[in-house]
Amino acid sequence: MTTQPSNPWTFVPHQHQGPHQETHDDAHTRSPEKHNGPFKAEGILTFMGAPYCPADRDKVSEMGAKICFLGAPWDQGTIVRTGTSSGPHGIRQASSQYFPYMFEYDVDLMTFFNVVDCGDIPVVPGNNELSQRYMYDYVTECLEGGAKVILVGGDHSVPIPGARALSQWLTRRKPDGKMGYLHVDCHLDAAVDWAGIEITNASGPTEAFKLPNVSSENMAHMGSRNGLNPKDWMDFWIDNNIPIYPMSEVVERGIDACGREILERAWNGTDAVYLSWDTDSLDCSCMPGTTCPESYGLKAREALAFARLAGEYGVDVLELAELSPIFDVSQMSTKLACNMIYHYLGSRAATLRSRNEKP
Amino acid sequence: MNPAKAFAHLFSPLGGDDGDNYRSPGQISFLRAPFVSLDSDELASTEAQYVFIGVPFDEGNVGKPGSEDGPREFRVASLDYFPYWFEFNVDLNGKAVDCGDVSMPRVSPGVAHERIYAAVRKALAAGKAPIICGGDRSISIPATKALSDHLGVEKKMGYMHLGAHLDMADTWAGESNVSTCTMARITELGNLSMDNVAHIGARNSFNPKDHIDLVKNRGMRFHPMFEVLERGIDDVMDETVSRVWDDTDGQYLSFNFNVMDSSSAPGVTATEPGGLESREIMRVASKISERGGLSVIDITELCPMFDISGSTSRTAVCVVLRILAGIELKHGRTLDDSLRRPGWKFKD
Repeated sequence: MTTQPSNPWTFVPHQHQGPHQETHDDAHTRSPEKHNGPFKAEGILTFMGAPYCPADRDKVSEMGAKICFLGAPWDQGTIVRTGTSSGPHGIRQASSQYFPYMFEYDVDLMTFFNVVDCGDIPVVPGNNELSQRYMYDYVTECLEGGAKVILVGGDHSVPIPGARALSQWLTRRKPDGKMGYLHVDCHLDAAVDWAGIEITNASGPTEAFKLPNVSSENMAHMGSRNGLNPKDWMDFWIDNNIPIYPMSEVVERGIDACGREILERAWNGTDAVYLSWDTDSLDCSCMPGTTCPESYGLKAREALAFARLAGEYGVDVLELAELSPIFDVSQMSTKLACNMIYHYLGSRAATLRSRNEKP
Repeated sequence: MNPAKAFAHLFSPLGGDDGDNYRSPGQISFLRAPFVSLDSDELASTEAQYVFIGVPFDEGNVGKPGSEDGPREFRVASLDYFPYWFEFNVDLNGKAVDCGDVSMPRVSPGVAHERIYAAVRKALAAGKAPIICGGDRSISIPATKALSDHLGVEKKMGYMHLGAHLDMADTWAGESNVSTCTMARITELGNLSMDNVAHIGARNSFNPKDHIDLVKNRGMRFHPMFEVLERGIDDVMDETVSRVWDDTDGQYLSFNFNVMDSSSAPGVTATEPGGLESREIMRVASKISERGGLSVIDITELCPMFDISGSTSRTAVCVVLRILAGIELKHGRTLDDSLRRPGWKFKD
């Protein structure tokens, strides 16, 4: 009932099916008429209430989805406390309290991007290699299907397969293509190995750096602070001449200046960008529901400003890590995380629209 | 320089016999420091500058209980940090020992205060700077008296407190050594001039009239939160640090983390809205550490059972460690730039 036959992406929330159907195509952008519909109703819970699409390149392509949401409920790559495996559920739940329509951008995210939820990547307890291979495969399918990916962890080992998937996807499309990698985090995460293991949540940037089409010239780190940053992590950034923007600099110069610099750097001569965003980059006062809550972080308003900024530039994979709803209070963390994605998408849509481009 | 095992604590674990994961501490101590008894000869001979003393005492509290869990959670939170602080390029390993908790009798607050006094005297006599973690704020009464007596009548003492409450009751329900009387007792110390006292962050109405009357009567300078907001934290700290540190022989730095906004520090006994944000408390730490040293730090009124996600204890530890790291930096005790992890290679 929603679309022309030429576009097989359809959106009829399950709450609108059955005996009490809403009949308007754009019912999801307005206050309800017959009943509450998908608002605050979980039922078959998806991100944004978007239709489910299998993480299959043909299905993604057939549906014309331009944004695939993927959950990575994995917290066995962590060197600190666990809990992030419920991150994808937390953010889906939070999204049920929002409309896909954003007045700030006058856009319906749902239909602008043909958003789909590809569900959670299956994981194998006790086996990081295999779980990361599955993550790689799922992200790859979404990219090959022509969509950008919103990847929600899960601990911060998720960018290891995530960035590798983007890197190899790019190489297949453009053999000499270059890729940027940004890491926004309280922690420098640059362990070459942690007790001999190279694929923990302390090694996202070091693994990205190994990718053949990523160079130090297109990498940057923002938001670092405090004492869970052993010396070799700092040495990695220094010895490779990759700039870090610690919180002291972000506070002094402002999120707009610093955020713009890292985005410019990532896009300088590159064809794709991976943005890895750890929820502990935020101050613990607004993001308690994270694995390592830390003071002296970004304020909520600064995180949303950065999300909007990132939307101006766009990224191929936006990954949010370390969301831990079990430590959350009053859903403040999951709702903030949800808004970081929504404002990214809203700003992205407004930017594309202003250029008369489609996602 | 031999960048071998002696510096392993600065780096990601090497694995195997060198330790697999820093979250397996075995014994829980402040910053993984060794335990040393306050009564042992070892205390004076250790190279550590700081001694951590837990004071799980909650019987001077007039409000919400729970601060006796403060030392335990403070220690636990400290385990999430490395001794290396990249913003300062310093190594805090070996800078502190943990002297355990002061043994607390029940329903005998007078005896408890005597033991706190004795513990702090011992640490100071050994030439160390105690980091005292309460406990309710009344523990500052015997602890400040210990510093005052340690310095002696000829010397001058400075005192700085950050907190939302003036705690200036001469007596509270007939008692004179409970938490609300803390500032009243401290301002009676013989070698503490009002010229060397600073109180930062007072706000809201758990500050009854007799408190402000006694503040005025004694001429105590204080900087309420609205003044901090108007002037900015840097300006207030420049003035107050100068007042407490200039021309004094020993400085007592006291934190009640209710100086921070309740959104930033929910795990304290008396949360108060309208306080400092985390980036402001880090400026406080920075301004203090620029003076290069102090005699005593105390942290009171942490209340872990009301904390959220462990964030308040972590923030408290973070502030203290940033002060210690800043002091190291001030004295130029930074690490050799060439020091690297054994087997380090940055580019495959």
